[in-house]
Amino acid sequence: MPLKLNKISLLLVLLSISAVFFFIEDLFLGSVHIPFSNVIDILFTSSSEKLSWNIIVLESRLPRALTAILCGAALSISGLQMQTLFRNPLAGPYILGISSGAGLGVAIFIMGLGFLGISLTHLTWIGNYGIIISSIIGSSCVLFILLVSIIRLKDIMTVLILGIMIGSVASALISIIQYFSYDNSLKSFVMWMMGDLSNVSLAQLKILFPVVLLGLILSFLISKKLNTYLLGEDYAQSLGVNIKMTQFTIIIITAILAGSITAYCGPIGFVGIVVPHLARLISKSSNHIIIIPLSVLIGTNMLLISDIISQLPGSEKVIPINAITSLIGIPFIFWIIFKNKRISELN
Amino acid sequence: MNEILNIVSLCVGYDKKPVISDFNTRISSPSLVTLIGRNGEGKSTLLKTITGLLPSFSGNISFFNKEISSLSTKEKSTIFSIVLAQPPQIGNITVRDFVGFGRYPYTNWLAMNSKKDNTIIDESLALCGLTDFAQRNFANLSDGEKQKIAIARAIAQNTPVIILDEPTSHLDMVNQIEIFELLHRLVKEKQKTILISSHQLQLAMHYSDEIWLLNQGEIEINAPTFFMENKTIEQLFRLENKFKLW
Repeated sequence: MPLKLNKISLLLVLLSISAVFFFIEDLFLGSVHIPFSNVIDILFTSSSEKLSWNIIVLESRLPRALTAILCGAALSISGLQMQTLFRNPLAGPYILGISSGAGLGVAIFIMGLGFLGISLTHLTWIGNYGIIISSIIGSSCVLFILLVSIIRLKDIMTVLILGIMIGSVASALISIIQYFSYDNSLKSFVMWMMGDLSNVSLAQLKILFPVVLLGLILSFLISKKLNTYLLGEDYAQSLGVNIKMTQFTIIIITAILAGSITAYCGPIGFVGIVVPHLARLISKSSNHIIIIPLSVLIGTNMLLISDIISQLPGSEKVIPINAITSLIGIPFIFWIIFKNKRISELN
Repeated sequence: MNEILNIVSLCVGYDKKPVISDFNTRISSPSLVTLIGRNGEGKSTLLKTITGLLPSFSGNISFFNKEISSLSTKEKSTIFSIVLAQPPQIGNITVRDFVGFGRYPYTNWLAMNSKKDNTIIDESLALCGLTDFAQRNFANLSDGEKQKIAIARAIAQNTPVIILDEPTSHLDMVNQIEIFELLHRLVKEKQKTILISSHQLQLAMHYSDEIWLLNQGEIEINAPTFFMENKTIEQLFRLENKFKLW
């Protein structure tokens, strides 16, 4: 179907153009007004009228916008993979409790240590990396439990239930820690839970970027296998797919993508659930070879737009990104539910 | 007629509980074999074990002289194709693309169809009388149509053996007859070996070359005419003095 392929290519090109547009907008808009021509000068020649503008664009807005792109792409793809693996339209990147594990790690780091009388809040560097490291440890523990359970359990749906329960246990432990923690550390934890794209420096992006890119490439490489999952496991296996191996790969990729994003930016909701549906609705296709690149671009656009809105252009206040993605995301979910009365055929 | 599958002292079951043990038979090609038995007797387990989707407890299944358990998933996908009772729940896909899934064992990692793949897909659609459905959305079709498409997908997989697990159980009489006729044609025209489980006793007797009657872990194999004359099937389904099957 060359016609359909052309349409999809056109769509990909248009979405790429709009992503570039929103990326530039994101650099341009913010609480400090910097003329557009100056932003461009700073980007290409690193020179500007005021040194402060230089710092704002290069050290604050640029890394934040780049993080938005990585975040949108990574969460959309991990959400898509979970929806395919569990054949559940409401699955998302966090459904297996990987990010709750990350949350628990961070909670222990921020509030648990505070409770023991150790304060790290004034040591910014240790504070920042500590959050990332504790988050990676937390999500890796959950990942390990999930992989072991895949080997032991026959039915992947049992793994899903296990993942959801791990998430609940982690949340319960987090609330106990919250209850006993001090005001200061409680506030920093709540801030982390709200999600923040601005905590990632250019130096940290040098780690985050290759990690996310690796996840995205791996995911695209297994798109044919993901397609067979649409038929159910028995059919997939009869088409020559090694089921256990593929489950392993899917969950590891999801952990790489959702885990790294949660580590750096905190949990960011709804993007991962909504974007894959938008990709399917726009392309009228379930073929992962089409909807993976499409989801990457839609996710990128969506997070850039959310970031622009969260900056409340013209004002000095910034709203947490999680509030924006939820406010944009939830109406979409309602729309998806009402438009597709038969949930089972959503995938 | 040559022997395509050889089953030797096969024992199958699930959750460590054997349901059929010491099963021996040879299946010749081409032929249409129907497996008959009451619910819960282990029909699906037996079929899944033969295709290699489930491991056997003991015994051997060989395809010509190759042992199935020693083959990779990929190799098995070029020997067996399957059709299950429940049509897959999948939206946003055209009938043609769905049938194209059958070519997955042969295509590259991007699942690009070659000219040969496209020809095989078109032939499979035509064989099942589905050419006009090619661009329709799979999700909007009836169960009967979906099962025919699932069979077309199995044909496109181009395997010598096709295994169907109660493919007609959700369908009306017209569709049931059409599906058995289609399978019969595949055996005659395409030299396929087809193993199907079904509760459609009359259709099974009419179209099959061989019947496997599964009763309490034992399988009795014979020609349809044999079972029509003796009363084992009537006894198994407790039909004596109530209905006349044939």
